[in-house]
Amino acid sequence: MLDLGSAASALLRDHPDLADAVIPAWPAIGRRFPPDARDQWLRACAAMADAALGQTCVLAYLRGGLACAEIIGPDPVIDLGDTAIALGRTAGVRAAQALLAAAPKAARRLGTPSRFREWLAAVERLAPMAPESMAPMLDRTEGLLAELDPAAFEAWALAGVRAAADDPGRRLAFFLLSTRESLRALHREADDLAFSAVERRLKAYLAALWRLRAPVRHAKADAAGGVPRRASFSDGLVWMPETFRGVAGQRAEDLFRASLVHIGAHLRHSGPRFPVGSLKPLQLALVSLIEDARVEHLAMRGYPGLRRLWLPFHVAEAGGAGTAPVLMARLARALIDPHYQDDNAWVAKGRTLFFEREDSWADPAISRTIGGLLGNDLGQMRVQFNAKTYVVEPAYRDDNLGLWDFGDAAAANRAEAETVYEAYRVEHAEQDGDPSGVPPEPREADPAERPDRSAPAPDDPEIAAPPVRYPEWDYLIGRERPDWARVVERFAYEGSARSIDRIIDQHKAVVDRLTALVRSAKVSRPAWLRRQPEGDRLDLDACIEAALSRRRGETPDTRVYATLARRHRDLSVLLLLDISASTNDLVRGTDKSILTLERHATALFANTLAELGDPFAIHAFCSNGREEVRYYRIKDFRRPYDAVAKARLAGLAAELSTRLGTALKHAGRILARQSTHRRLLLVITDGEPSDIDIADRRYLLEDARKAVLALSHLGIDVFGIGLDPNGKEYLSRMFGQRNFLVMDRVERLPEKLPALYLRLSH
Amino acid sequence: MVLDEFRINEEPYYRPVSDEVGLFEAAYAARMPMMLKGPTGCGKTRFIEHMAWRLGRPLITVACHEDMTASDLVGRYLLDAEGTRWHDGPLTLAVRHGAICYLDEIVEARQDTTVVIHPLTDARRVLPLEKRNELITAHPDFQLVISYNPGYQSVLKDLKESTKQRFAAIEFDFPAPSVEAEIVAHEAEVPADVAHLLVRIAGSSRNLKGQGLQEGVSTRMLIHAGRLIARGIPLAKACEITLVLPITDDADVRDAFSAAIAASVA
Ligand SMILES: Nc1ncnc2c1ncn2[C@@H]1O[C@H](COP(=O)(O)OP(=O)(O)OP(=O)(O)O)[C@@H](O)[C@H]1O
Ligand SMILES: [Mg+2]
Repeated sequence: MLDLGSAASALLRDHPDLADAVIPAWPAIGRRFPPDARDQWLRACAAMADAALGQTCVLAYLRGGLACAEIIGPDPVIDLGDTAIALGRTAGVRAAQALLAAAPKAARRLGTPSRFREWLAAVERLAPMAPESMAPMLDRTEGLLAELDPAAFEAWALAGVRAAADDPGRRLAFFLLSTRESLRALHREADDLAFSAVERRLKAYLAALWRLRAPVRHAKADAAGGVPRRASFSDGLVWMPETFRGVAGQRAEDLFRASLVHIGAHLRHSGPRFPVGSLKPLQLALVSLIEDARVEHLAMRGYPGLRRLWLPFHVAEAGGAGTAPVLMARLARALIDPHYQDDNAWVAKGRTLFFEREDSWADPAISRTIGGLLGNDLGQMRVQFNAKTYVVEPAYRDDNLGLWDFGDAAAANRAEAETVYEAYRVEHAEQDGDPSGVPPEPREADPAERPDRSAPAPDDPEIAAPPVRYPEWDYLIGRERPDWARVVERFAYEGSARSIDRIIDQHKAVVDRLTALVRSAKVSRPAWLRRQPEGDRLDLDACIEAALSRRRGETPDTRVYATLARRHRDLSVLLLLDISASTNDLVRGTDKSILTLERHATALFANTLAELGDPFAIHAFCSNGREEVRYYRIKDFRRPYDAVAKARLAGLAAELSTRLGTALKHAGRILARQSTHRRLLLVITDGEPSDIDIADRRYLLEDARKAVLALSHLGIDVFGIGLDPNGKEYLSRMFGQRNFLVMDRVERLPEKLPALYLRLSH
Repeated sequence: MVLDEFRINEEPYYRPVSDEVGLFEAAYAARMPMMLKGPTGCGKTRFIEHMAWRLGRPLITVACHEDMTASDLVGRYLLDAEGTRWHDGPLTLAVRHGAICYLDEIVEARQDTTVVIHPLTDARRVLPLEKRNELITAHPDFQLVISYNPGYQSVLKDLKESTKQRFAAIEFDFPAPSVEAEIVAHEAEVPADVAHLLVRIAGSSRNLKGQGLQEGVSTRMLIHAGRLIARGIPLAKACEITLVLPITDDADVRDAFSAAIAASVA
């Protein structure tokens, strides 16, 4: 005898005709709903039966609710019932039915309980405004939610309500998607999401899954204006289309995510490139398809939840035209979707071949084998395959160019193979230079070989102080070259001090936040001052001494209190800015140069420091060979942060190279004269040290490292802020493991810099 | 006995991760000052409790903080009816009667406080009590142990070289996944598969270290998650409130970590 529990028993007692639906589904219900939720749901079913929406609705709710629970969990299913009843009341039974039928599709599209609920709420709000349109609109749920997230969906629908101006006929036409207006609104709401908007979090996601830090490039339109339709990877570099055309909102984010993680699976699990050999385009495509499935399954062994990420994009259905691309999309789905049914013999064979080898999935060779076999079969079936128009499906998969070695020997085949991928090659044209980052051959740095740059005359009006020489560390000989580099202090150009004030105005919100931080930096690190004449608590040691004095007949010292006071900050900081020519580059995704961001950051920094009261200086440097390391003092320790300092900050211009070590030594020498307890040298740099007379990348790096070490022996802490997202390695080499930070979003430097300082000095 | 209240009578559960137990025993035999290095929540405190029990020594723990003065460590005069009475501080107590003294998070203390340990940690093994004009020679069983978290992000807060170099160090890190899962299962009383899943989740947060996270999820946090799960909270929710929310305010990093948690669950 089935134990149904009280809720089910009550439901079946009042509505015995539901037994045929409930009893057979009972085991499935038990699997999907924990007991509490189950009873709540069954009571909701009873409520729906009582709401007189007809048996069709109750059955649809039973069926749809079960399906939804499987996808997004049991809780939102209760809300679904409430919305259906409300809809029945405001828009009629047919609308309620349409909602219940659409719900599982919506759940699949939306994927999470919270987004599903948002959608329900939007539907419920719309119903009274467009009752006649609810059913037809809900019938189109799948298509709509493919383009729109719940918020965009509601925005689109409201546009329809508004445009129809109370004319139900026009409204209906809008919701049937049969007017131009409606489609336009749809596309407007489905405003394509750019990869850069989600890049940071998706890269972090890839790092979280596999500690992968693959550099991602944005694949832009080629000369003909064609945007690549698929992602791509090669040699550890990832190319992501800036947008996927016509894909917007949450769905676009999901697509970027699925795509990046798919490539991550390749990077983790694909072996060396397959030689193309004599494979035909169709075989290439099939080997790639099997390889895609193989790496995804390996990835899912560690992260089973990834299936939920990829599955929604596999929409191929059994049946229909048997062209090669269609069959391949069906095979792709058959290999990842355990519930997919397809009795096409070729698809079935592919599935069997693949899952038979489950134990050998770790071996990339199986992709070659299976793909080869399937390619032969498909060839014999004489299905059409047009290599020129073939695009990998589903959309999240990459073009698989990175899997193949087109080899020189195979030049003949290469031409053929390339046609397959022709469309996607263009954007690979060295956009970012040599991606492998192989350093140039190190060359012995021979002093005799260096051109003797004629030094500027000492009476040059631009020179602010007599030049100073510093040694430079040559790691190749393991010694310092004495008096090797020369620092020339120059007068800083002046710009408009007002422009610096405007920067502060622009960042009003940040400044307010910083002011609060400053206030807490001043007060939140209190210290007990002991032996005070007054205070809010007794100083135990002082009391004891006073009592002793009294017993000895002496006059006790009455300073027996302790008081909490702001800890005296005893710290000076020198901010050193790299203003080499490369800081003229624009920061990706903004219209600002690196130097502009440095200037904004410095303005906020100076503003904060002036409030805080810590002594500070701001200097900048660039270099033009070892005889001319230019050094500018924007603000000195003994000068106030005033209009002159601001004007100099505004006047900074980017030029020349980055001889960091020498600049560090000079800055350190200035900072060493500060008599505070701690001294901090903060350096902002956008790349590796380099200079025109040095070809060996390691040379200046090692010199800078030496300089940092020497300063730390003098008790000067050096902290580096790198603006090059790929700079981790050399920054840690120069500044040490803990004493640097990479700004992965350079545009946030202005708000981050002062906050970083406050944290460091806490 | 004076230090009875500091004795540990029941074995504190500690799952050795590598050879740390043997190393520590040898160091104790030589009465060598020890430094336990490692990220927060990885088992340093538990380890020293276990070792004190194992060696049969009382354990005196001091949680260091920045208002701590040397008197808080060594002791001070207190008043009583007849006059004054000297009151040993925790360090002095350990030195006199032969306990293991554990200074937890020593970087928090100010440097002028930490120098009082210097004469104790070199060949002299003495503690001068200036106020009392007394020089205590350490009890033969006394040992000084400090903990030190090198991941600490303030450049201005660090141990002095002269302090650091007096100690031998044992490095702690999060244990291998199977071992960590064993610990989580034991401490949180969750089934092994749940513990393994939690440890995998911790792995993805540790992958994010340096990519927006200062530190990955600690064993301690996993135990918190496990305890909630053991009390019927669904895994996703438990992870959200014990792992994701506490660890960062950066929305992108949260999103990445949450998504990785979702990916870990079938
Ligand atoms: N190897 C281990 N054996 C047993 N339990 C462990 C082990 N490692 C960690 N734990 C568990 O993790 C918890 C946190 O560890 P503990 O408090 O010792 O961390 P800690 O390293 O001292 O951290 P903190 O630096 O923040 O003080 C312990 O309460 C214990 O439950
Ligand atoms: Mg692929």
